[in-house]
Amino acid sequence: MTDQNKTIEQQGSSRSETMTRRMFRLALSMTGFQVGLAIFGLLVLAALILPEISSVSATKIAVRERFLPPFFFEGGSLTHLAGTDQLGRDLFLRSLIGLRNALGIGVASVVLMFLLGATLGIISGYFGGWVDTILMRITDAQLSVPIIILAITILGVTRPNVFTIIAVLVLAGWPVYARVVRSVALAERQREYVRGAKILGASDIRTMLIMIAPNILPPVAFVAVLDIARMMIFEALFGFIGIGIQPPTPTFGNIIADGTKYIINYWWIPTMPGIFLILALLSINMMGSSLERARNKIFAGMH
Amino acid sequence: MTFILTFLLRRITQGVVIVSLVSFLIFTLLRVIPGDPVRMMLGPMATPAVMEQKAEELGLRDPITTQFGRYIENMMNGDLGESYLLGESGGAAPSAQNTGGGSVTDEQIVERTKTKSNRAKVLKLIADGLPYTMQLAGLGLLFTLLISLPLGIAGGLKPEKWQDRLAFFTGSFFISLPNFWLALVLILLISTKMNLLPAIGYKGFAYTILPAIVLAIELSPVMIRGLSVSIASNLSQGFVDGGILRGLPWSRIVWRHIIRNSSIPMLNLFGVQIGGLLLGGVFVVEYIFDFPGIGKLTIQAVLQRDFPIIQGVAIFAAAFLVFVNILVDLIATYIDRRLNY
Amino acid sequence: MVDEPILQVQNVSVDLVLDKGTKPVLRDVSFDLYEKRAMGIIGESGSGKTVLSRLVIGAINPPLHVTGGKVLFRGRDLLTASAKELQVIRGSDVGYIGNNPGSALDPTISVGDQVVEKIRAADSSISYKDARDRTIELMRAVRLPRPEARFHEFPFQYSGGMMQRALIVDALVTNPSFLIADNVTQPLDVTVAAQIIRLMHELRVNFNTAIIFVSSSLAVVREIADEIIVLKEGEIVERSTPDKIISAPTHEYSKRLLERIPRIWEIEERQEPQHEVQADQNVILKVEDVYKTYSVKNPKKFFSHNKVEAVRGVSFDVMAGENFGIVGESGCGKSTLSRLLSWVEKPEQGTIFFEGEDIAGMSKRELLNLRSQFQLLLQDPYNAMPPHMPVGRTIAEPLYIHGGVGRKEVRERVYAVMEEVGLPASLYQNLLVGMSAGQRQRVNLARALILKPRLLILDETLSALDQVEQSILLDLFERLQAQHGYTYIFISHDLAMVRRACTRIGVMYLGKIVEIAGNQSVFFDPGHPYTKALLSAVPTIEQRRYNAEECLLEGEPPSPIDIPSGCSFKPRCPLAFERCWTEEPELIVREGGGKSACLLANESEEGLVEAARGNLERRTKEGSLVEG
Repeated sequence: MTDQNKTIEQQGSSRSETMTRRMFRLALSMTGFQVGLAIFGLLVLAALILPEISSVSATKIAVRERFLPPFFFEGGSLTHLAGTDQLGRDLFLRSLIGLRNALGIGVASVVLMFLLGATLGIISGYFGGWVDTILMRITDAQLSVPIIILAITILGVTRPNVFTIIAVLVLAGWPVYARVVRSVALAERQREYVRGAKILGASDIRTMLIMIAPNILPPVAFVAVLDIARMMIFEALFGFIGIGIQPPTPTFGNIIADGTKYIINYWWIPTMPGIFLILALLSINMMGSSLERARNKIFAGMH
Repeated sequence: MTFILTFLLRRITQGVVIVSLVSFLIFTLLRVIPGDPVRMMLGPMATPAVMEQKAEELGLRDPITTQFGRYIENMMNGDLGESYLLGESGGAAPSAQNTGGGSVTDEQIVERTKTKSNRAKVLKLIADGLPYTMQLAGLGLLFTLLISLPLGIAGGLKPEKWQDRLAFFTGSFFISLPNFWLALVLILLISTKMNLLPAIGYKGFAYTILPAIVLAIELSPVMIRGLSVSIASNLSQGFVDGGILRGLPWSRIVWRHIIRNSSIPMLNLFGVQIGGLLLGGVFVVEYIFDFPGIGKLTIQAVLQRDFPIIQGVAIFAAAFLVFVNILVDLIATYIDRRLNY
Repeated sequence: MVDEPILQVQNVSVDLVLDKGTKPVLRDVSFDLYEKRAMGIIGESGSGKTVLSRLVIGAINPPLHVTGGKVLFRGRDLLTASAKELQVIRGSDVGYIGNNPGSALDPTISVGDQVVEKIRAADSSISYKDARDRTIELMRAVRLPRPEARFHEFPFQYSGGMMQRALIVDALVTNPSFLIADNVTQPLDVTVAAQIIRLMHELRVNFNTAIIFVSSSLAVVREIADEIIVLKEGEIVERSTPDKIISAPTHEYSKRLLERIPRIWEIEERQEPQHEVQADQNVILKVEDVYKTYSVKNPKKFFSHNKVEAVRGVSFDVMAGENFGIVGESGCGKSTLSRLLSWVEKPEQGTIFFEGEDIAGMSKRELLNLRSQFQLLLQDPYNAMPPHMPVGRTIAEPLYIHGGVGRKEVRERVYAVMEEVGLPASLYQNLLVGMSAGQRQRVNLARALILKPRLLILDETLSALDQVEQSILLDLFERLQAQHGYTYIFISHDLAMVRRACTRIGVMYLGKIVEIAGNQSVFFDPGHPYTKALLSAVPTIEQRRYNAEECLLEGEPPSPIDIPSGCSFKPRCPLAFERCWTEEPELIVREGGGKSACLLANESEEGLVEAARGNLERRTKEGSLVEG
């Protein structure tokens, strides 16, 4: 309808940016996002650099220095900021290495599940018909299997390594992306301009790639970010139960699992690594949630 | 009326298909991956010959489809198979493993394991654990609602104000707490140091509280976010402005119209996400708190390669999720008639 | 004996406050509304009329701010009233109807229950039963068919026209002192809108309610208003009776407004464009007996489907160089027809020939080539093009699809076509965000033209534009046609536009073409009762040619499901007689060359009068005027 049907506010806006860029801009202006980004940046920097330059080792066993509490408690020392575990290993550095592994697995699995889910989702949403029905049933079935069961089934009986863990995560996580992308594809497919393009003679692949693909990012972006955090938790969980990456490689899961028996008297051994994990997750979640709010605001306020 | 019937018919058929698919998947997975159940049962002393014989007896060498068919048949009769390792009382079944010294002849091994009757039935194990798990899940959901409803609704109604920010940060914080870590810390602080609540095992209702709190903290973020997003998006709907212009009191607009319209995506959320999270969370939480429900049963079964239990629980879980989804969708069509068409 | 005005707007000014600055929306506006009077407010888009309509119920919210003045309703200033006071006033003494009927109510609760909710919110002592009875009684008064059933239905089950009636019920149910109708007829079909206006007339008389009727169309407002205010950029520039404004406007702006309204009847001889359509010119598009039916799930029964007969046996020829128009209301099948014509969907029966060749028989390569020969332009300028592509790329898209053009040449051709349609070259890199509807349609047009097509199908392309922009674009179309020899097919519901632009016109009803004739013929000697009814319902500031009372249809345009036998128009036709129930009329040639699908197509004047009388007798005997 005519301009009068747009609100007066909308008539005033004339920014010529794509949705994704606007979403990121808006998110960047939110305190939640900024704080998250800052913490995350610090952690990543520390995880990448500190273990390389520090004189203290994450794996060196130093029996004389075992059971040191964190530095702000009496008995602690500044060389071991977070204390040491039952074998004298520095918890700070072990946590950072664990963080590296966790992030690596988290990001890798999310990227893969996004690619898998998005491809299937676009095809399903665009073509519809029985392709769509079959895919939706598969996602339904997949979603009916709680990730835990899937994980313990697969990982519990084979020897878990990085690849199998990522595979399990991807398997558990792709349906959400397929669903979201499918609904984007369905919505865009109805839109006039897609019809217009088909009338012009555009082929299917062209329509899918050019028309629909750019519209996928906004709804998916924040889901992906939040999923990184989610996958990191799962990875830690697997490790804790015993079906994650096996020692001696330090991951949050096995560090905490190892330290559980010391919790009463030497509480910091399982707790400190957890705090690192929590900080990382918190920062990622704040960024992801801010993105989600930014997107919702843009969709509602300006269209 | 006809609509409900068609709906149920359609969904239940789909549900059956899904559950069958899932069970077949798990079934096959368990058979295909390494780790021999027979070895578990007979112990390391048994010779390969005996193991083969036992395996044949148990029907483990038949083709997968036959095994599956047999399984389904049994399932129809209410028999989900028997645990490989657990005995009637839940403890370890008498196995052929020799704990003492001395050797055992093959025949003796076979004899001892022939008496299948002292192996616990999976169905019974599940039925035993179910009430505990339901109690935990119920209390957990209750706590979740207590936390999420006020935060989510207040946050949704006042976007950008402090209620919204509070909801945002609480949600972000809770979702960053790994449940196992949280369980450990809470056990340490509340149970051991402060002695407020009991933690391990189950000797009364109070033992449910701490695990339920952990569950609630795990589930709340999703609900808080879902609620506030849903309500906030409804605020900009035409009928809100329309209601104001028609002279409806604001409280009525919120409590009757906005909540009603928000509840549909919320129901959806409930079914899919909460159902899934609940299931997943319950396993871990029970394991850590040594809570005698299905979760602990399952995790132990995995660590011990007790396939029938894993199988049975997986099917059960899938069926449960399917059921919840159907229920949720049915309620949704009652609230929003558009879905009927 | 001057009674006190119930509403007094006194020197009100409203500003719009945005980050980039403040813009005045209403300046020093004053007027009074008396009991039982109808006041019309007209203005173009941007004139502030919607803000004004919200002002009189005290609904001005940020970023809009009132910077001065009072709005006195029965002595109370609405601008300083508390939220609670406003709520009470709105709930019981004032009615507001907006222009977006579909979204004013909660979609999850039945319409009837929501009206009852409003009644009982205003007065909780009224029982549910009483409130419900009153609602149904009012629904009957606004001529909602089978109100008892309607009461329990949900908003999505109502058509646009029905919803507006329901909202009128909602507004009147508490017997308000006055009613505001903001652009209520804009989203509706012509005949439905005419019915609503007639309805408001009657209600005014029966309910003693004053009305403020806001619209952008003077032709619509003059039907109902005692007095009209002309709003220009937030200021009242003229205030007078409808007749005086039309015959002798005093302000410059009013004069200009008047000039721009397209005339339908006053030009007896339409200026034909230079290229007259000759009888022996070649046929560029031939549509032969085309059918299209859809299958839709029937929610009422198990596993059953309803047949939606969208297009039923449509045939016509389009000559090269002419402007062919297809008009009709909702449900007539013109959207389906446009999809068939552009071969986005295939008819299940019948053939479409382009320049003599059957489209169905073409190979993929030939089809792609065909697409460069004729193009379809769609209505919605906000959705017809991808929002994430810059203008230049959007326009170039067809060239990429068809391939074979180098980058440099692409740029050249894009710039060339942009110039032709009047788009500044500087817009090449811009995204569509922020461009006006008119500009967007030009981009749309440029994209269609870049392949140098022979035939252009314009499916409601101009409907989203206001008068000025429409006019400009129509001029552009004419120029391009003179230059390149394009043929146009206009599909539209806007009879005024079709009157101006088309040489031959086809009228569609329920999937068939019921009349097809030259422009002059259709408007001045219609051969089908539906055409006549349509023409009588078109709002106009000129002298009406056809009397609404005789031809105005009752009820809604019907749905294409379960079409009964015989002539599909008979339930609403003022001339229907026995044969109409059994015979399905074909297009019959009339004198003058036009064709009409009516059994009385060639009847004399007396014969028609006879038929009308017989029809009236029959309906009176049946005891009910058709309820639609």
